[in-house]
Amino acid sequence: MAVAIQLAAAPWLPLHFVPAGNLLGVLPILIVGGGAVLVLLADLMVPRRGNLVLPVATAVVLLGALGTAAGQWAVHAANPIVFNGAYADDRFALFADFVILITALAVVALSPGYLRRRGMEEGEYYILLLASVTGMLVLTGALNLIVVFLGIELLSIPLYVLAGFARDEPLPQEAAMKYLLLGGFASGFLVYGMALIYGETGHTGLVAIHHVLTATAVSQQFDPMLLAGIALLAVGLSFKVSAAPFHWWTPDVYQGSPALVTTFMSVATKVAAFAVFLRLFSATLAPYRAEWQVPIAVVAIISMVFGNVVALAQTSVKRLLAYSGIAQAGYVMIGLAVGRPDGTEASLYYLAAYAFMNTGAFAVITILSRRGEDCDRYSQLSGLGRRQPALAGLMAIFMLSLAGFPLTVGFFGKFFLFSAAIHDGQLPLAIWGILTSAVSLFYYLRVILIMFSGVPEAATEPEVQVAGVTLGGAALAAPDSAVAVGVPAGLVVVLAGAGTLVLGIFPALIYTLLQGITVVHG
Amino acid sequence: MTWPILGITLFLPLLGSAVLALIPASRTMAVRTVGIAFAAATFALSLVMLVSFYATPKVGSAVLGGSVHGRSLAHVASPITFQFQEQLSWLGSTRALGQFRQALNQGNNGVNQAFAPPINFSFHIGVDGLAVWMVALTGLLFLLAAVALSRREDRPRSFLILMGLAETGVIGVLVSLDLVLFYFFWEAALIPLYFQLLGWGGPRRGAAALKFIIYTVAGSLFMLLAILGLYFITGAETGVYTFDVPTQIAMATQVIGQHPTSLTIFGHVFTFLTPEQWLFLAFALAFAIKVPLVPFHTWLPDAYGSGTTPFLIFFAGIVSKLGAFGLIRYNLALFPQASHFFQPVMLALGVTSILYGGLMALGQRDIRQIVAYSSISHLGFVVLGIFALNVDGLGGAIVQMVNHGIIVAGLFLCVGMLEVRFGTRDLGRMGGLARPMPIMAGMFLVLVLAGMGMPLMNSFVGEFLILLGVFQVSPAWAVAASLGVVIACWYMLRLYQGLTQGAVRIPGTGGEERRAGGSVSGGGVRDLRALEIALLAPLVAVCIGVGIYPSPIISTIRFNASQYMRLDGRGPQALMPTLGLGVASSSAPQPPGGGSAP
Repeated sequence: MAVAIQLAAAPWLPLHFVPAGNLLGVLPILIVGGGAVLVLLADLMVPRRGNLVLPVATAVVLLGALGTAAGQWAVHAANPIVFNGAYADDRFALFADFVILITALAVVALSPGYLRRRGMEEGEYYILLLASVTGMLVLTGALNLIVVFLGIELLSIPLYVLAGFARDEPLPQEAAMKYLLLGGFASGFLVYGMALIYGETGHTGLVAIHHVLTATAVSQQFDPMLLAGIALLAVGLSFKVSAAPFHWWTPDVYQGSPALVTTFMSVATKVAAFAVFLRLFSATLAPYRAEWQVPIAVVAIISMVFGNVVALAQTSVKRLLAYSGIAQAGYVMIGLAVGRPDGTEASLYYLAAYAFMNTGAFAVITILSRRGEDCDRYSQLSGLGRRQPALAGLMAIFMLSLAGFPLTVGFFGKFFLFSAAIHDGQLPLAIWGILTSAVSLFYYLRVILIMFSGVPEAATEPEVQVAGVTLGGAALAAPDSAVAVGVPAGLVVVLAGAGTLVLGIFPALIYTLLQGITVVHG
Repeated sequence: MTWPILGITLFLPLLGSAVLALIPASRTMAVRTVGIAFAAATFALSLVMLVSFYATPKVGSAVLGGSVHGRSLAHVASPITFQFQEQLSWLGSTRALGQFRQALNQGNNGVNQAFAPPINFSFHIGVDGLAVWMVALTGLLFLLAAVALSRREDRPRSFLILMGLAETGVIGVLVSLDLVLFYFFWEAALIPLYFQLLGWGGPRRGAAALKFIIYTVAGSLFMLLAILGLYFITGAETGVYTFDVPTQIAMATQVIGQHPTSLTIFGHVFTFLTPEQWLFLAFALAFAIKVPLVPFHTWLPDAYGSGTTPFLIFFAGIVSKLGAFGLIRYNLALFPQASHFFQPVMLALGVTSILYGGLMALGQRDIRQIVAYSSISHLGFVVLGIFALNVDGLGGAIVQMVNHGIIVAGLFLCVGMLEVRFGTRDLGRMGGLARPMPIMAGMFLVLVLAGMGMPLMNSFVGEFLILLGVFQVSPAWAVAASLGVVIACWYMLRLYQGLTQGAVRIPGTGGEERRAGGSVSGGGVRDLRALEIALLAPLVAVCIGVGIYPSPIISTIRFNASQYMRLDGRGPQALMPTLGLGVASSSAPQPPGGGSAP
């Protein structure tokens, strides 16, 4: 077999894989997965309502995983590939893990208060959350198509349930059904693509596929079947990162799902899916860069244009953030389309930035949500600047950051992306990015305008005042619920805001981390 | 100078905002005092800097490493002298950059493909003869604005906090010597301005704020692309990848980016502008919107119409000058060849602004809008002077930037004082105010005459130099621009006569106008209070003082202008001797303070 000969001839191929069972390499996954089981058991023993055992246990599990991942980062194993080349705990994966785990921690901190207000205090919530995080951690380091699929399904299935977690409301039911159907559809594309690639290369391991492709790319014999496989893979992953034109599920699901689930879905899922997207395309499929670069760039441009333009017409805050999320996915795809190390770095930077600003924005929405209904109408934000100036100020920071203003992390996110695009000579990507950024100002600034110039809605609906957050963190109290609800939620928003600002002034804090990143076998 | 005076000046207003945030909002007296104290301290520092700048002129620094067309750049220095420089690493390490350059020097052709040059920008600040004047103007106008903040103003603490942030942003734009830092401040300064426009002022302020920020940001985004483009283009040509402004200016004296860009469509090759010209256009768009030049001016009447008086003092006084500052510092200095290429276009835009702004000012009844459109007209003069591309024109433009900042602040103050008294801005409802308000009328007259460019007023000096510079390039443009001076007399006198002369007409509070007979003084109308006189007095004094004895300012500014004119290798182009202004008539002015030109 030609392929086998090529493989044997490659002297730099790591033929002596790390012995199987190198559990240290997947320790964060084991912790979160095992933690999910423990929380499941604990759920049987503790009473349902008004109990903080489950969220605290979940947070401890996530913190443990975060600590382990940090340890792995510090050790920086020379050969991070474990389980016979199925998984890598390289710094690329670990960076994505950090973002996912920190986002999950923020979601857990927001959960008890939000679930109580919405009347959905069920222990399964935390179990599903941990299961989904497990899938994401599997995905970030996956080095085998089978593991990629495993990760995608493990992260998606709990999310289908979470989307419909508000069982007695119609909109979440619709969202869950849509998400399930379209998510399954996307998985179908993904599997089909994987099957075609396997059929052409004879491998499911990404390293082996890379070597086969390097050989065929040199001989210029492009196989249409292989190209179809790559295309289907791209379509499936584009569904998961909600890039247009594969985004149709996003607005309905983001609007219908409980706000906190949407927070998690919009940030953590996107980070995990982009991690595998980046690894597959900028590393494994790098030899075929000339083939996939233009289609990916087109998807990026469509996402930026469609997301930003349609967001202009929205009257629902959650839908607005959904379309903004589509547009942001388009920006991240600029780095993907560039495909080189600086593009990957820029995408990772933007994902980290996105985690801060989007988690923050959604956290404000969850804080303003109340029983039976999420905060979703512009009128509910109206006059927030006078009612709760600190909360409105933080929301303004998140909006400015999403719009890419300096002083916020969003600016450097876009700066690095455009820089990578221009250096790669992909001027159209940068120009479309610029034009759509200008369009996005309209709707991000409109949120600020409504908060700071509108009349408070409190006159008509007094129960809207939920949490009085001040920057000092002292008066984090919700009038009709315990202080314990307000403090962690307020802390999340304040920390997200502080992170958005600090990283916006000192971009080196993340950028230097990214300098050390190599995608294994890249 | 061992202590970082420039850094302190830059961050002092920010510190002021932080201190204000700690004072309870209810203690308005303390809030006001602290706000004024910090603004005054900033102004004092800026004056110290201005004086010591001219005491010790220094030469620019050379480009480290790099070569173009095989020639080393090691001896190429920025012709513009920057002082009070401070530099701190912000992102990226010099080690990574050194490794990259080493790989490049070893002839590794693949290196450009495989690795991106490490992004490397620094916190680098410093001032040249242009910026040092603008910083002083900033200090003065923000101090006046802090003093002018009305006691009845809503939420004075928030306003002063935002003002401190805006002042740091504006000074940051002026003193940045790194393109990323410059863009950072350029955009960041918009945020406090946006919130000030949104939170205080007329009923349509929300729309005005949105229009202003979207216009300016949309324009500047292209500048961001151009900054990145400049970084990679000059980097690829010389091996020096840097956002550092003095280094880029030094490299711009070499010929960079001169190959036309082309696009192939269906086999036909279309040739476009050179990269340098594209970059020029992207920068010029951002600055033309900020100035604003006429096709890009539509945000201005709304913003000037709805802001409060203290806001307008610094917004009209200094923020709009940032566009002109950018045209000089970035377009002229970084793209000297393209500046010559686009000279006719920019001159045409300048003349269009002068005439259009003047004619629009003639047609307004709203006294604020008259000042707003006059501002467009005056800034057209500034752009005209800049793109005369000679020492006279540029020197005149810089003088005029400072002058206009003073005049427009004074005019908006006067207009604001009338608005507070009468509750209207309608020119048709006020008249004969010289009788009840003689002090106001007198000070207003000085400002109006200055706005007209009368001799013995500061504007005359600037406009004369600008016209002198433009005349050397093309007499036709100079003639067209002189028409603008005539129109300026017309609308300014219309404003002054309408307000102060004729029968006394004082609008009543209930909408009814009290028509007092010509012989009766307008009862119940108070002339300027001591504080208001104190606000206007320094502006009026500068208008007259500079008009009578302009030579210290002009000689210092001409020295700086000559540095900018040396960038394209053609040398200073003052062809005609400057007449009777007490200025040395040599074509290469000597630096004041006894130093020698680099």
